[in-house]
Parts: sequence; structure tokens; C-alpha cells
Amino acid sequence: MNVIWAIIRKDFQMEFRTKESITAMWIFSLLIFVIFNFTFEISRLLLLQISGGLLWVAFIFSGMLGLNRSFQVERENGNLRGLSLTPADPGLIYFGKFLSTTFFMLIFEALIFPLFIIFYDIQLSLVTLWIIPISILGTLGFTSLGTILSAVAIHTKQQQILLSLLLWPLITPIIIWAVKTTGDVLAGELSAAFQPVMVRMLVFDVIFTTISYLLFEYVVQE
Amino acid sequence: MNQPVIIAENLRKEFGRVVALRGVSFQVEEGAFFTIFGRNGAGKSTLLSIISGMASATDGRIRVFGEDPGERTHRHRLSVISHESFLYDNLTALENLAFYGKLYQVENLNERMHAVLDQVGLHHRRFDLVHTFSRGMVQRLTIARAILHNPDLFLLDEPFTGLDQHATEMLIGLMDDLKSQGKTILLTTHDLQIGLRLSTSFMLLERQRVVETGTSDGLTAELLREKYFSLVKTSEAGQ
Ligand SMILES: Nc1ncnc2c1ncn2[C@@H]1O[C@H](COP(=O)(O)OP(=O)(O)O)[C@@H](O)[C@H]1O
Ligand SMILES: [Mg+2]
Repeated sequence: MNVIWAIIRKDFQMEFRTKESITAMWIFSLLIFVIFNFTFEISRLLLLQISGGLLWVAFIFSGMLGLNRSFQVERENGNLRGLSLTPADPGLIYFGKFLSTTFFMLIFEALIFPLFIIFYDIQLSLVTLWIIPISILGTLGFTSLGTILSAVAIHTKQQQILLSLLLWPLITPIIIWAVKTTGDVLAGELSAAFQPVMVRMLVFDVIFTTISYLLFEYVVQE
Repeated sequence: MNQPVIIAENLRKEFGRVVALRGVSFQVEEGAFFTIFGRNGAGKSTLLSIISGMASATDGRIRVFGEDPGERTHRHRLSVISHESFLYDNLTALENLAFYGKLYQVENLNERMHAVLDQVGLHHRRFDLVHTFSRGMVQRLTIARAILHNPDLFLLDEPFTGLDQHATEMLIGLMDDLKSQGKTILLTTHDLQIGLRLSTSFMLLERQRVVETGTSDGLTAELLREKYFSLVKTSEAGQ
């Protein structure tokens, strides 16, 4: 438990100091919103239909930036090796990195969502609150896979290319589910498929978090 | 008779088709200063990562404090210093130590941090970010990080790489201290002069094999150099 907190604390200390990730993520998301809002002349109806996808494009691409940054700092001075030389359980180290990226993404998402609401003039209702569990489930799916694959890719020269190649196909299902459920929420009406899809996301998260936890020890070995 | 801290028997390591160690055997006694000499590619770093438990041998047997290092049971008793600092540039000196201290579950961490910062002469810079440090200061903080959890065994992989004269002297001074405290030290270097000056015993690796072992008593760098080159010649002729 101490290990997990030590890592989360350290990551947040560094991020609040440099604001490197959060700045890049903000600019990126703003660009996406602006481009789709002003560049394309699309009908309001169509915009509503694709806005769930837009939101997740912003979430996931920003998440990619955050994830890359999070592992870049573990690479600069051989830190990941330093971490694995400590008595700390590699599984806990994984959990620390996993949770710090997850918290970080969730905080960012909470900041960007109001902006999205304003840009796309989304009608708010009680149903809108469902965006919270959806974001949590979608983000956990992304970060559980992203953390382990970043650790794999850390030893390679083309770190970011390898990461994207491995990560995208694997997270496709969870992104599709997240976009689908978000679409329901933004339309203000949950479809019949909503609940089963939410359950599927939960199962996906549990499976990949467990696998990653178990694999981390082998990944940090040489 | 001291119990050997490290026992290596016939260690072999392969990376695919590349062989990094071809059957290496040696022992390191408790309190010894053991230097491993060898050229680039001789297998020194590979050997150290097997001892630290970061890599596993393809074949052979390794025991550190009587255990397989891959079991991670003795992590808190060892420390690695290489040309990598393991430090975070955007944390302060104190934050870096606090972080590693927690991972090593150091007792009385606060006092201990201040003590080691004092010891390496960085106490006045404890609130400064590491990226504002000079190379020599980074090295000193690296040392502080390495001694923080008071380990019994130090693995030093070419720690002089990139250091200026001053930082080198500082590091040598530290090693002398550790030696007199009875710590076991394993150093790899290609610098015969420095290696011999410090060590109680040594081993020469050439082409992933041990070609010579001995105690450093009465041995000068010149003698070792001569010996070394004749051994290298033999080994090259044998290829
Ligand atoms: N991760 C690796 N993958 C492939 N070959 C490696 C790896 N690490 C070391 N080697 C090879 O093993 C041999 C010994 O390397 P190393 O232990 O780094 O030597 P030294 O530290 O003495 O310079 C070299 O030929 C090196 O190229
Ligand atoms: Mg080396």
C-alpha cells in the first residue's frame, strides 16, 4: 500500500511542478473540439451522434500523451530499473503507475467535460451523470493495458510506435463500448444495450488489470 | 571463515544467439572488495544484473546471501550504482530520497535522509530540483540514494563513467569508507589503476570467460597490465 501511494504521490508532485502532460492534453483536446465545431458544417443531429466519439478521441489521445509522459520519466535515468531493484513487489509498482495515470486522466476528463458540454451545447439531465461511471470504466480499460504495454515498450528504441501498435487493437473494444454508452448519455436516453455494455466494460477492466498485475514482474525483468 | 556473500557456478547467459557469459564461476567473501576487470563486451554488466536479480542466467547457479537473487528476498541488502542515477530530475533531492526510502521501507527515514545528505555534502541543496544539479552533484545524490537503506552489498557497474577528477575522488573516498565499514563491494571497471588501488581481490573477464583471478596484494597496475595483455593475446590466438 505504501508503495502504491509513494508512486502516485511522486508522479503528482512531478506533474504539478512541470504541468507538462496537462498542458499538452489541454491543447490537444481544445483543438479537437474547435476543429469539429467550426471547421465542418454538420447538422446538429449528426453532431450529436458523433459527439460521443469526439469526446473519447479527446480522452484517449490525451491519455496517450499522459501515458507516454508517465513512462518517459521512468526511463530518463534508468528509473524503472531502479524501482525493480527495490524490495517493492513489482505488482504494486504496476498498480502505482496504473493508478497514477488513471487518476490523472480522470481529473483531466473532469476538467474537459464541462468544456465539451459548452462547445457542443449538450442538454444536461440526470442521465448525464452516467458519464461518470462510463469515464471511469473506459479509462481503467485504457490505463490497465496502457501501463503494462508502456512497461514492455520502455526497453525498445521506438517506444511510442510500438506502444501504439500494440495498444490500439487491444483497446478497440472498450473504446467502442465507451463511445456507444456515451452516445446514449448525450442523447439523454439510455438504450436497451446500455446496461449489458457497461457490464462488458467492467469485465474487460477486471480481466486486463489482473493480467497486467501478474505480468508486470516478467516485463521489468531483462 | 567468512561465509561467501556471492557464489557463482558456471554461469551462462545467452541473448538469443549472442552469448554474454560462457561459464563464469567465482566467489566473493563477506567484506571483500572484489573488482571485475574486462573490456567492453566482456560480460561485466550482464554478470552484475544476474547478481542483482534483474536478469536470470540461462544456465549455472548463483547464490547471493545464500539465496537465488531472482527470489527478491535480499533486495534490501543490496545496492546498485551504475552510470544511471535512477533519480527523478523534476523532484528535489529530498523528495527523491523520500521516495526511494519508502520503497526500501527505511526506518527513521527522516533522520536517515538528513544524515546521508550531510554525508555527501548536499544538505544545503536538499530543496533543489535534481535537474539544476551538476553532474558531480547528481553523482553524490546517487550515492546518497544508494547508501540510504544501509545495504551490505554494493554492486558498482563502471561508476566512474563520465565523472570528472573531483567526482571520481569523491566516489573513491566513499568506497574506502564502505570498505572500512565491512561492506562487501563488487566493482566493474576497465581502469586497472583505480580498480587495483581499491580492491582486495579481483577477476579478469575476457570474451565472456574468467581468465584470471587473484588477490590484489603486491600487484601493481603495470604487472596486471602486462599479465592482462598476454592473456588477451592468448585468448585472441585461441579464437
Ligand atoms: N540485452 C542484450 N541483448 C543482446 N545482447 C546483449 C545484451 N546485453 C549484453 N549483450 C551482449 O553480451 C555481451 C556482454 O555484454 P556486457 O555484459 O554489457 O559487457 P560489459 O559490461 O563487460 O561491457 C556483449 O557482446 C553484448 O553485446
Ligand atoms: Mg557494461
